[in-house]
Amino acid sequence: MNESLSHIFVDALLINNFVLCVFLGMCSFIGLSGKFSTAWRMGVSVMFVIIVSSILSYGTNLVLVRFHAEYLRIITYIVIIAATVQLTEMFIKKTSPALFRAMGVYLPLITTNCAVLAVPLFQTSRNYSFVQSVVFAIAASGGYTIAIVTLSLVRERVELSDVPSLAKGTALTLVLAAILSMAFMGFAGMGNGG
Amino acid sequence: MNQDQPTCHSASPEPSPSETFVAFTAGLWKQNPVFVMVLGMCPTLAITNSVRNAIAMGLATTFVMASANAFISMVRKLVPKQVRIATYISMIATSVTIVDYLVKAISIPVYKALGPFIPLIVSNCLTLERAESYAGKNPIGKSILDGLGMGLGFTFALTCLGTVREVLGAGTFLGFPLFGSNFEPWVLFLLPPGGFITLAMWLLTFTLWRERSDKRKRAREAALEKPVEIAS
Amino acid sequence: MTNSWQMIRLLGAVSLLCGLLIVGTQVNTAARIRSNQETIMRESVARLLPGIEKQIVYGIQPSGDLIILPGIEVSGPRFFAGYDAAGNFLGVVMEASERGYADVISAMYSYSPDTRTITGFQVIDMKETPGLGNKISSDLPFLENFKHLDATRPIATVKHGAKKNPWEIDAISGATISSRAVGRMLQKSVAEVAPVIERNLDRIKRGQ
Repeated sequence: MNESLSHIFVDALLINNFVLCVFLGMCSFIGLSGKFSTAWRMGVSVMFVIIVSSILSYGTNLVLVRFHAEYLRIITYIVIIAATVQLTEMFIKKTSPALFRAMGVYLPLITTNCAVLAVPLFQTSRNYSFVQSVVFAIAASGGYTIAIVTLSLVRERVELSDVPSLAKGTALTLVLAAILSMAFMGFAGMGNGG
Repeated sequence: MNQDQPTCHSASPEPSPSETFVAFTAGLWKQNPVFVMVLGMCPTLAITNSVRNAIAMGLATTFVMASANAFISMVRKLVPKQVRIATYISMIATSVTIVDYLVKAISIPVYKALGPFIPLIVSNCLTLERAESYAGKNPIGKSILDGLGMGLGFTFALTCLGTVREVLGAGTFLGFPLFGSNFEPWVLFLLPPGGFITLAMWLLTFTLWRERSDKRKRAREAALEKPVEIAS
Repeated sequence: MTNSWQMIRLLGAVSLLCGLLIVGTQVNTAARIRSNQETIMRESVARLLPGIEKQIVYGIQPSGDLIILPGIEVSGPRFFAGYDAAGNFLGVVMEASERGYADVISAMYSYSPDTRTITGFQVIDMKETPGLGNKISSDLPFLENFKHLDATRPIATVKHGAKKNPWEIDAISGATISSRAVGRMLQKSVAEVAPVIERNLDRIKRGQ
């Protein structure tokens, strides 16, 4: 498929939003969307890891294809992601201790965020070129950030209202996510310019 | 209500049969990965728009968990703490790759329906959580049982969601039409929002049920304790 | 120092073990996977060309020449030619895909080079809205469009109930975007492949 860059961008950002339409990265979406301040930090760290690991996996995949070792794809991608997360952690720790204190807890969690693994897997299965892959990674992680930040803002409001004790917590968050997801369904027709 | 509950909490160092049994059943109900621990949400929401896919995904995850738990438990004494996560992840990724090929070899339509979610079992928090908190500390037999139990509990939860979504959203169960031709399916349940809503409803049901049984248990304990106090 | 050496050794051993397991599985399942994929393709082609006994996969090279592909694993531009038991040419089956409402719709359709008509259509993969867009694979009046769809003119999708000409597709009401995507994909694919088939028709009919 030769998709245009703008198409890939809009598609991954809104139409097939990773969180609300494809259900990727749910654990952190539900777990870390309680507060705006943690949500956007998580969003930014995920963006960073996704973009770096997408670029690294693109290169690695070329090597794997060259040696006909496609069966090692899953294992190499996850190792790349784990390494990227580890390096990011060390880098932030060295350069900005304050930022590390704020984000440190979330960084290891990114390894088991399926949105991160999904980006390299999707870009490989869709045969994206290097530029397409990078655009896809930016848009997909941006979509994740939009979703988690929006949900956190809604949740901060809902915190103040009176909810039956039974429904507090995950169930309520899921209902809010459902409403957001319905809103995002409205983007579905956008891919149809031509 | 069964009265043999107390045996489960026996603190003997030897693995008694009941303890092994608990390793298996904990995941099925008491610590159900989806309804109680709220882990592994991605496939829970994404793959449950039909019962068949839900069961296939559940079984694939079960296989991964049982085999990854077995590998990890085998090498648990050799692995230094610092590289433990790396070892676990590569073993989980190996199991997932194997499942990926097996599913493709068994049925291509099922493979297509599960889509990217088979490779994504690697980053299902459930698998790593069990590796870290159970298989890394327990003998191989129990670890396999834990994996199987957790996996089957996961399958059970996925099937619950799949049933609601398929029956309401398509008017079928496992592909068989349930209602007459006049039934207008509630399509929303097959779409992403339906996944969120169905899971929210199941969680509510579970919380309600648990709160009730807790209340009943407390009432029973209170009733039992009184005569004991008087006797002593 | 010995400690990190130990770790490296352990990680090496673990990766060796993992590698062996993965390669073992891959080697053991490869044949099965290929035959599964081939069976599915064969069944889809057979559904579009009733009476088919033998099929040949032709690949289209960048120069426009045809080569006979040994199996279906070679991707790229290609089509399937179907023959009955006596070896008579029945028609070709082609693949097409186009962006629909939700995601890419991929489909196969049968084409008769003699009459230059599309004779059947089948959706292979899609994520269209259940109950609306996904009717393109099941709605009988819609599929009726493709029993004799004139491909000599550009194929056009028209509003539900407005079909007048044999080269028009009557859209499903409520699923216009998905229906239009089907029209577009057929138009593009026919325009691309039909001239190649035309040029090589004698050869295809002989099954070479």
